[in-house]
Amino acid sequence: MALADIADILGLVFIFLGIATIIISAIGLFKLPDLYLRASAVGTSAGLGVASIVLGALLMDFSGLNLIKAVIAIIAQLLTSAVGSMAIARAGYLNNALPAPITHIDELALTRREVSGGR
Amino acid sequence: MMSWPFRIIGFLFWYAKEFITSNYTVTAEVLRLSGRSRMRPAIVAVPAASRSDSEWTLISALITLTPGTLTITISKEHKILYVHGMFVENRGQLVAEIQEMEDRMLRAMRRAPGDLTRPTELPVVRPMDEAGESR
Repeated sequence: MALADIADILGLVFIFLGIATIIISAIGLFKLPDLYLRASAVGTSAGLGVASIVLGALLMDFSGLNLIKAVIAIIAQLLTSAVGSMAIARAGYLNNALPAPITHIDELALTRREVSGGR
Repeated sequence: MMSWPFRIIGFLFWYAKEFITSNYTVTAEVLRLSGRSRMRPAIVAVPAASRSDSEWTLISALITLTPGTLTITISKEHKILYVHGMFVENRGQLVAEIQEMEDRMLRAMRRAPGDLTRPTELPVVRPMDEAGESR
């Protein structure tokens, strides 16, 4: 078996791993009770899911230029998805999206004047 | 102590390991049946040792990137990171986890380790409109 075949198979494995991660985090979006937990679940697809699909595509079509592109794509994706989740979480908290009742400690609540409005 | 570039590489490997294990725990939690859920979410104020803007940005992005923990906001004047955790048994456990990551990050980022002290007591925090525009 040539090296290219092995890389092809590995690439497919990584791509399917990424797809599975994204599907599972989509299930998490429905299953989890509040905004913050859902944002955490989506983090798995935005981070590991996309990164392993890019890695798989790189393995299937490897070249020096593609390597550089893939590294830039993964770093940019990780940074922007983190900033996006933080912005969504903060906006949610400021707009009274209260954490689900199973949240047993909430020290950010000290910064709120009162609990008003729905969730 | 290792020289600076090696500390960065060491940190990246440590972070990659954390990233993969936390991805695994969150994925496993989503697939677990609701009755057997081990979720114990909490929002905790973590005292932080970061000083410069780039350190604050990087630590909050790194915390958010590991699934299961999420930085909601920071308070630079009180030196606090408000972190939402998915599996928190008690306050101390999440604080230790975050501070370990921050220690490792700061040692990797700074050429000299510098000042790694943190505020030991939690400050009295008042609602934003009472305290003026301090976000």
